[in-house]
Amino acid sequence: MSTPEPLVERIIDQHSDDAVTPGALVSVRVDRIYVQDGNSPTLARLFHKHGISSIREPEKVAFVFDHSVLAPNAAIADRMKEAAGFAKELGVQVMRRGDGISHVIAQEEGWFQPGTIVLGSDSHTCAGGANQSLALGMGVTDIAAAMISGETWLKVPETVWLNVVGTPHPLVRPKDVVLHILGTLGQAPFLYKSVEWIGPWAAALTEDGAASVASMGVEMGAKCVFLPPRRGRSSSVLSPVFAPDEANTITVDITGLDPVVALPHSPSQVASLSDVAGLSLDYVFIGSCTNSRLEDIEEAARMLDGKAVHPDVHMVVTPGSQRIMEDALRLGLIGILTRAGALVTPAGCGPCVGAQGPVPASGDRVLSTMNRNFKGRMGNGQAEIFLSSPLVAASSALLGRFPSIEELKA
Amino acid sequence: MTEIRGKARFVRGQISTDDIIPARYKHMYTDPADMAPHVFENRFPELASSFEEGDVLIGTDVFGIGSSREQAVSSLMALGIRAIVSPRFGRIFFRNCWNLGIPAIEVDTSRFIEGRPVRLDLTGGYAIIDENQGISFPPPPQRMIRILENGGLLNTVLNEAAHSRNGI
Repeated sequence: MSTPEPLVERIIDQHSDDAVTPGALVSVRVDRIYVQDGNSPTLARLFHKHGISSIREPEKVAFVFDHSVLAPNAAIADRMKEAAGFAKELGVQVMRRGDGISHVIAQEEGWFQPGTIVLGSDSHTCAGGANQSLALGMGVTDIAAAMISGETWLKVPETVWLNVVGTPHPLVRPKDVVLHILGTLGQAPFLYKSVEWIGPWAAALTEDGAASVASMGVEMGAKCVFLPPRRGRSSSVLSPVFAPDEANTITVDITGLDPVVALPHSPSQVASLSDVAGLSLDYVFIGSCTNSRLEDIEEAARMLDGKAVHPDVHMVVTPGSQRIMEDALRLGLIGILTRAGALVTPAGCGPCVGAQGPVPASGDRVLSTMNRNFKGRMGNGQAEIFLSSPLVAASSALLGRFPSIEELKA
Repeated sequence: MTEIRGKARFVRGQISTDDIIPARYKHMYTDPADMAPHVFENRFPELASSFEEGDVLIGTDVFGIGSSREQAVSSLMALGIRAIVSPRFGRIFFRNCWNLGIPAIEVDTSRFIEGRPVRLDLTGGYAIIDENQGISFPPPPQRMIRILENGGLLNTVLNEAAHSRNGI
């Protein structure tokens, strides 16, 4: 059998008049654009500077306010006001503060249709790969250019197939597997590439799990990622091809893998949970575009049900969207969390980037379910941030320290 | 525009865009000059204030991983950085450099020397280190050179739109 045509090339080909081969620079038509609130003020500045007052297809564009839902200072409040005014001038769709994280909203609203090209002014736009959309994070100049021209330029990436096989420890979650792959392989095999996840592990992921894995594509250094469609979805024609080019296939056997954590200050700095068991924690955050979906909130709530967060731990839970918040309320999960002593904030990015509170204190050891832990990420360069699954995070919040694997089972 | 001369300034290790400019500043400011004093403040305090107009940043590992913020590029530009050379780049950061009008060149940087002159010839596809050693790289595609010559992607797109309106 010949080499299968990679999904990224099929999608680009349908959006371009140029010849599509890996390495070629091509122009593509863009189906959807969304912008987050850390970049929309700069976008407004660029438009004003260049005297641009209208865009090609405002109906394809949405502005989301997710990073600073509760503006923490006057400067940010002023920028948000500018962005909201600018969105109104352009006539684009505007989501309210508290509607949720752009990528979670994009999934709920159906902006990531299989086979489409979607641009977001946020690196975790790659989450759209869970829906077989070529979803690309870009800077605001790229976004501005696409809003004006309806197109963008791309270098057609090479494809690597990531075949995950084997059965890990039952308490291993999708986040653990991505961190494990980052810890063992680093970014090198994935840098600039399109990553097609194949094999039984990827095929069995839930919808929330697939979105979590896809969101970490940028942490892997990938240009884009694709997960297989969930069962019952009709996009099977756009499934990653399970007859990959062997030379470009990486097989990862996760048999017996235990839960893992990423250590400060890089998601590629990964250790087994047992290596950090017992280490005390000051602050636990469950949220972000990687782990704020209903499945994540449910897992945390199950762990905390009828119990109390350790008195020395500040625990914050931020649902990914208003819809998730409402589902969690209906299921009684929010009550479980608040009764246990967790602080539940409005939907959005929460404290992930330090563009709103709560900012950790200097010297705090933080365990977070977000996707990256670069120094200063949550707004304080003097905090140490660890990353894990929501399960490990919730268990740690109860104990005030990282659990052993035995304690995690209990 | 296709030749750049400057002084080599190393920034060692894997560099994230959070290292370059912490997120909250792009939520607070839109003028790169306001962000510039905060460049590298968590990872390499004091480094930003030592940059001079025309400096060429030299990376040693993947440069610019993580967030899509192009403010990482614009704030470096506000400090005088005119090119970035590194063995590997984060892909969004790489795009952002070209889009804002400064070249990002992928090349082995082990022979560059801190504080010494660097000359980049983009069309020729080579760098001259300390006025004596040459190292070659694949010349960037014409399309990317054109973006630099236009002073960035936005100017390029606006010029093209104006041309097509005028039937040129």
